[in-house]
Amino acid sequence: MIPVQDLFASAPLLIIGGSILIALILEMVFDSQSSIVAWFSGSALLFTAYWSLYHLYDRGFAFNNMISISGRTQLLFFIVNFAAAVVVMFSMDYIKKIQTNYGEFYILLLSAVLGMMLIAAARDMVIVFIGLEQMSICFYVLAGFRRKNIKSNESAIKYFLLGSFATGFIVYGMALLYGASQTFSIPEYLAHVETLKSNPIFLLGSLLFVIGFTFKIAAVPFHMWVPDVYQGAPTNVTAFMSTAGKVSGFAALITFLSPFIDYSARTTGSAKFFMPFLATLSVLSMLYGAIVALSQSDVKRMLAYSSIAHAGYMLIGLSALSYEGVDGVLFYLVAYTLMNLGAFGIISILETQDEKMLKIEDFAGLSSRSPLLAAFLAVFLFALAGLPPFAGFFGKYFVFVSAVENGMTWLAIVGVISSVISVYFYLRIIVLMYFSKGENTEVVSVPKSALLGVFVVFIMFVIMSAFPQKFEGIIHTIGLLTY
Amino acid sequence: MSILAIVLITLVKIIIIANVILITVSYLVYFERKISAWVQNRIGPNRVGPLGLFQPFADVLKLMLKEDIVPDAANKLVHTLAPVLALIVAFTTYAVIPFGPVVTMFGYQIPLVVADVNIGILYVLAFTSIGVYAITFSGWSSGSKYSLIGGIRSSAQMISYEISMGFSIAGVLLTAGSLRPMEIVAAQHGWMWNAVLQPIGFITFLVSAFAETNRLPFDLPEAEPELVGGYHTEYSSMKFASFFLAEYANMIIASAMIVTLYLGGWQVPYIENFGLNAGITAIMQVAAFLFKTGVLLFFFIWVRWSLPRFRYDQLMNIGWKVMFPLSLVNLIWAAIVTMLLN
Amino acid sequence: MDLYLILFYFFAIITLVSAFFVVTTRNVIYAAFNLMLTLFGVAGFYVLLGADFIAIVQLIVYVGGILILLIFGVMLTNKITDTDIKSGFLNRVPGLLIVGTFAGILIGTLLKSTWRIAAPLPPPVAGLVGIGNLLMTEYTLIFEILGAVLLIALIGAASIARKQSN
Repeated sequence: MIPVQDLFASAPLLIIGGSILIALILEMVFDSQSSIVAWFSGSALLFTAYWSLYHLYDRGFAFNNMISISGRTQLLFFIVNFAAAVVVMFSMDYIKKIQTNYGEFYILLLSAVLGMMLIAAARDMVIVFIGLEQMSICFYVLAGFRRKNIKSNESAIKYFLLGSFATGFIVYGMALLYGASQTFSIPEYLAHVETLKSNPIFLLGSLLFVIGFTFKIAAVPFHMWVPDVYQGAPTNVTAFMSTAGKVSGFAALITFLSPFIDYSARTTGSAKFFMPFLATLSVLSMLYGAIVALSQSDVKRMLAYSSIAHAGYMLIGLSALSYEGVDGVLFYLVAYTLMNLGAFGIISILETQDEKMLKIEDFAGLSSRSPLLAAFLAVFLFALAGLPPFAGFFGKYFVFVSAVENGMTWLAIVGVISSVISVYFYLRIIVLMYFSKGENTEVVSVPKSALLGVFVVFIMFVIMSAFPQKFEGIIHTIGLLTY
Repeated sequence: MSILAIVLITLVKIIIIANVILITVSYLVYFERKISAWVQNRIGPNRVGPLGLFQPFADVLKLMLKEDIVPDAANKLVHTLAPVLALIVAFTTYAVIPFGPVVTMFGYQIPLVVADVNIGILYVLAFTSIGVYAITFSGWSSGSKYSLIGGIRSSAQMISYEISMGFSIAGVLLTAGSLRPMEIVAAQHGWMWNAVLQPIGFITFLVSAFAETNRLPFDLPEAEPELVGGYHTEYSSMKFASFFLAEYANMIIASAMIVTLYLGGWQVPYIENFGLNAGITAIMQVAAFLFKTGVLLFFFIWVRWSLPRFRYDQLMNIGWKVMFPLSLVNLIWAAIVTMLLN
Repeated sequence: MDLYLILFYFFAIITLVSAFFVVTTRNVIYAAFNLMLTLFGVAGFYVLLGADFIAIVQLIVYVGGILILLIFGVMLTNKITDTDIKSGFLNRVPGLLIVGTFAGILIGTLLKSTWRIAAPLPPPVAGLVGIGNLLMTEYTLIFEILGAVLLIALIGAASIARKQSN
């Protein structure tokens, strides 16, 4: 029998799991034009987000320690559920606009969230892997949701093929890890770190595992899919993939690295064998993303390269292998999720049915066409560029500080250089929006639900930017509870 | 028991079974022709030997003397491999079907089954699914569109019906609590035949078995009027004979499986109450198995000459929308029955 | 050499040789046929390890289900059975370089390291019963979420296949 406390601890998972089934029945019973499935899944996601936040300080293990519910897990639950709920708000009008108003969109969205939550809660390699598959399958389908559109198809196929390739790395890595450690349970690594860290099989397995996950977080060396997929997929899907998808990729990496972070904290830095490797990935991602983004003319492609660069910044926090670094990464993840959601949400509102308004020049004179959206977009872009006083700046700050404290000043310097480069392409759009006139002077019609979504994100973002220390404090506290 | 004895006994069992099947297959063809003649109010084969009883030998001789034609467009290797595969699959499957109880002979305890495997039922399922390859490969390698369509139809059909077949078997496994065919038979003592306990499962399995063996009304892979002959259009001589043999051998497997899973296998209800000695009991039980299988074989032939063929979409509809849900219902029913009986 | 080792090498050779042909052959059907042999070889390993249930499930699922679907797909698009799989020469050099390095690292690691050999396990409790019990107790979560994964794969496939109206 499954103990009741197991069920209570895993309540968010069960709520989302149950919602998938209910949504399936709703989709079957009701007319396909009614948006009841959208309303239902939106409220289920919001409720779960609220639940996770409410139980932020709870701790528990469930299902034979295969999953653990800690503060960090609850925070990650909150981020993915919140992101998904906002994406539902964006999608209600967007998928009508692109003529793919099918209820299964929301069912796939919910299932992807279930997969992400499993990854976030997992303390067992097998659960990580199954959660990853659950999430990926949904993304493969969602990326190709505009089936009449050749770019959407291309994006789905590319994502599927490269995703399977990366999964191969992960599974191979897991096999080697098991061969070296005789266990799938991640916390058990801690007991054996001393013997494992000199075992080449274990190191090779870890490297393969991490390399496989660079696919999900869109970092070098598995970054080549990002621009094509982000551009080709429907914009609301891109918004979801680039935020919640990245969050769960990092969740898996943090989970996997946490025994070594513990070890490194206890023995003052003798578990740094991952450091050079993660630092290399980080530098490559930052510079590649920032430099290639300069020459983009499509706004979704540009944001895709920026997403690669952001993965690089977050990897700085991981490569420090310290508690502060992980706190910084979590802070960064929340901030990044909010700003990217906002930016993609606005793009999805502006995008026309025939996929116009996606070139960077199309943003010229937006401030006169829709002052509100232009203002919101400007804020999100400033934040993505990492300019103070927005949360994006504090995210970078915490991450860089952790690098400096762990004797990797050079890494922080590379990070700063790449941020400076990236300011150019974010500001270019803002300059175009405010200081030049476009040919198109038509007033943008803004659907209410999508505007509400942008607004919610904006409010959250402003609060976060206003009280960064408080947020960091909360993340630090729940982090301490987790270890 | 020494290893030598085990090997010897097994070899003897294999030889007996292989011969019994070969002879049964040849006479099955004869009976099929006779029964079809009877259904259609004709006489049937009556020239070779008394009542045409030597007809099968004449048929085999005829096939062996024919020229072996391989079409130019064919892929030679796969074309040759496919019939061999069909035969291997058809014959190896018998290994796990028990045709009698455990008997004591020459001081040895001998179970009347070639291999008493503890996952025997899954073994049968696995080999049936490999059988799909023979047909698919033969269809593809012939380089003819009729063969190709036949091959495609057959793979789709067999995969679809394997699902309801698997779920029906799951019901039987629930009541028996084992995957070992011997134990499944033993669980059906007295009146508790699975056909009585779970009639829905019996029907779904029976229908699926027809589909799996490509017999009418599910013989779309061959469908002479539409496809000339389906997957074996381009085969002649012994290769054709191999397919022919495999098809009838599969029919015998299907009947034997139905008997084992649903009709009590070699059990004769309440035979232990008659007070017969062990030898006669065993003989009667083997005879019961053969009799039940024979009745089912007759049923197979009878259906073939009574029912028209399904259309392809009807076939898929029945498979996915009728048989599959029914087999799920049966699974739940079987769980309830098992709980009540325990 | 005892029987176990002979069988092991037998299956190993089947698996490796057929896997090699899967990769190198230019005909998709041959590749599929060789893949079948590879899967058979792997099933043989399972039998050698005493996991006969897993072995037979491997046959039913991979050989009987997945591979046949693959061949089915190939046959439905029958033109590709005759076309050669082409790969450009240009990609060959960097490809070889990367694969060579990777293989070198892997082989080097395998030669250098010592594997942790598990203490001999107690003989498993009647295969199927043991697996069933574990799935319903210790691994409930995995069992259930695998169901969710399969469900969503089904929904996804149906969603891709459904008619999209304009």
